[in-house]
Amino acid sequence: MLQAINLSKKFKTKEVVREINMELSAGESVGLLGPNGAGKSTTISMLSSLVQPTSGDVLWNEKSIAKKPDPLRKAMGVVPQEIALYPELSARENLAFFGRIYGLKGELLETRITEVLKKIGLSERQKDIVKTFSGGMKRRLNIGAALLHRPSILIMDEPTVGIDPQSRAYILETVKQFVEEGMTLLYTSHYMEEVEMLCDKIYIMDQGKIIAHGTKEELKALVSENQTIQLKANILTVNFEKSLGEQFPKATIHIEEEILTISMSKSEEPLATIFALAAANSVVITSAIVKVPSLEDVFLHLTGKALRD
Amino acid sequence: MLFSLIAKQMKMLIRNKQPLIILLVMPIVLITILSNALGSIMDGGEEAAIQANLLIVDNSSWAQEEKAIKLFLEQEGVTGPSMDALLTQFKSSDPIELLNSTILASDEMKKYIEVDYKKKVDVKIARQDENIDGILNIPADFRVSYIKSAYFNDTNFPELSLYLNQDNEIRASIIESVLTDWKRGYTQSAALLAADLSPQEIMNNVVSVEKVEQVLEANERKIPASIYYTVGMLVMFALYIPSFLAGFALQEVQWKVYDRILLAGVSPVLYTLSIFFTGTLVAFIQQVIMLSFGMFVLGIEWISIQGMFLIIVSYSVFIGALSALMTTLQFRTKTEGIANLFNGLFITVFSFLGGSFFNIRDISETLGKIGDFTPNGATMSAILSIQKGQDLSVIWPFMLAIYVLVIICVFLSIVFFPRRGVAE
Repeated sequence: MLQAINLSKKFKTKEVVREINMELSAGESVGLLGPNGAGKSTTISMLSSLVQPTSGDVLWNEKSIAKKPDPLRKAMGVVPQEIALYPELSARENLAFFGRIYGLKGELLETRITEVLKKIGLSERQKDIVKTFSGGMKRRLNIGAALLHRPSILIMDEPTVGIDPQSRAYILETVKQFVEEGMTLLYTSHYMEEVEMLCDKIYIMDQGKIIAHGTKEELKALVSENQTIQLKANILTVNFEKSLGEQFPKATIHIEEEILTISMSKSEEPLATIFALAAANSVVITSAIVKVPSLEDVFLHLTGKALRD
Repeated sequence: MLFSLIAKQMKMLIRNKQPLIILLVMPIVLITILSNALGSIMDGGEEAAIQANLLIVDNSSWAQEEKAIKLFLEQEGVTGPSMDALLTQFKSSDPIELLNSTILASDEMKKYIEVDYKKKVDVKIARQDENIDGILNIPADFRVSYIKSAYFNDTNFPELSLYLNQDNEIRASIIESVLTDWKRGYTQSAALLAADLSPQEIMNNVVSVEKVEQVLEANERKIPASIYYTVGMLVMFALYIPSFLAGFALQEVQWKVYDRILLAGVSPVLYTLSIFFTGTLVAFIQQVIMLSFGMFVLGIEWISIQGMFLIIVSYSVFIGALSALMTTLQFRTKTEGIANLFNGLFITVFSFLGGSFFNIRDISETLGKIGDFTPNGATMSAILSIQKGQDLSVIWPFMLAIYVLVIICVFLSIVFFPRRGVAE
């Protein structure tokens, strides 16, 4: 259905996307996971025909979109990371405008608007000016504007950025419904739990490259031989971290928000050694959790850094 | 689709307070202040109205003269049916009736001459009234004398007295022109009657109105401060429209709404065209509001409406083209720098050269000529020329300057439009 073949993008001298290969089949929900600045938005812009790739190609139903992007554009709904709405217009006026530029008019347009407003839970606020909306409501309307022409493929670029947990849950539930209804989805996020919840297939991206891809299970299998130990302590000193590194040279060690995460082979039994090293470095461990692998661990394993770094 | 884009841009403009204040409130406030503050200096005590006041002191009347006319006709041997036929013919071509009911009564003429009819007025006292531009005194025996001269070759032509108030030359000239024409018409009536033509057939009101318009062309109407500053502010504040529209367009790019528009299949050319049409439409509406304010609030009488329409449409087209160019440049630079520079520097310089603040020709003829090449200056000169009562042909050089600038804007828009997309 939608394919990226050796897709690269260079802005002046900086190469932000490097030889990406991706594939979305009809009805599939695909996640593009990566930290901020990984090149996800540029990849999406190229896939949606807004940005010309420096090299490579995008195929829609096996035809290049380079010269004829219209068939893809008509079939696709794009939800950008930004709130791409007119703040001075009401929710209904915004939807009416976006519907009209897609060629909808008259009764059909009115029906679609009502349908979309219901879907995104804004029927009661449809006449209100968008600038009076909360962040979550704006995000919902941002999604609604991409649904009016009933796209067969929906591309969402970090649709839950900067909103409260309640609105986020509402949006995720809504997107989940789209997936269950059979809509093809390309969902980018740096929240691995969102991608894990919504997507069957995941591409992990870092520094402009796809570093791994597969189903959730396939990706987790990459680290199934590993174990992750999370430690909380009264103080995490550099010496303690250094001692751990020397003791477990094959382990990945990472400190974030006063939590020390160690990824290492399951074959080792490190807890006794860790506690001994802590005592030697005057570090008092207050909690220790041994975790099953998650996508976060996969990312950590592949890049040596946390997803939200 | 084009209509949807234009409607959306209009809504954005209307729902933002800043554009409304700058495009409508500020010019109206400035027109009012400048017209009043500088009115006494600019107007020099001369009134701009071109409606002349004519007082007709008609001492004659058919009723009082009928007896004398019949007596004269009997003396000349015209009696019975011949007399009745002559009287009927005379009544139908009565010069006074013709003047009152046909020439001065037409709607066109009423725009130029307001007539007041009185009987037995002391002309000497009436002449002291500054509001009266002309007094036509018709003697009591006018009709008898007319019949004698027109039908019986009496060489004593009926004498009329016309007094003109020379304080306002244009208005005096209007009255003189119309009455001279009328007088010429009835003095030639004998010949016309002999040829079976009535004076009405050549002395119709259209001819008289044309005469008035010729008088107006020959005598330029004075431009009062109210007209000057309405036009000055109108051309100046229309120049703010492009930066507002280009600013909205840049916001659309920054908000990624522009991406949504492109993804919906709207081509960049159509989008730029919508900016062009919105700019044209907004400029036209803004100018109509300014001119209406001048007319209904300041009491300005705009003349040559067709010429005015042509000029404001042309200027609106230029504003539309400039809006498209500024949008293109902002898309290319991705900053509001161009609009800020235009608002801060260009509008001030253009308005100074174009004469929006004061008549630049008062200090330098060269600067005035340069000002005529600015779009606002050319528009202002064109409007003021026709408001002075000059022929419509005087506006063509100004229109040429405006359309050359339109072509330049469109050409530069095409050259500078970012073909590789705005997102990159």
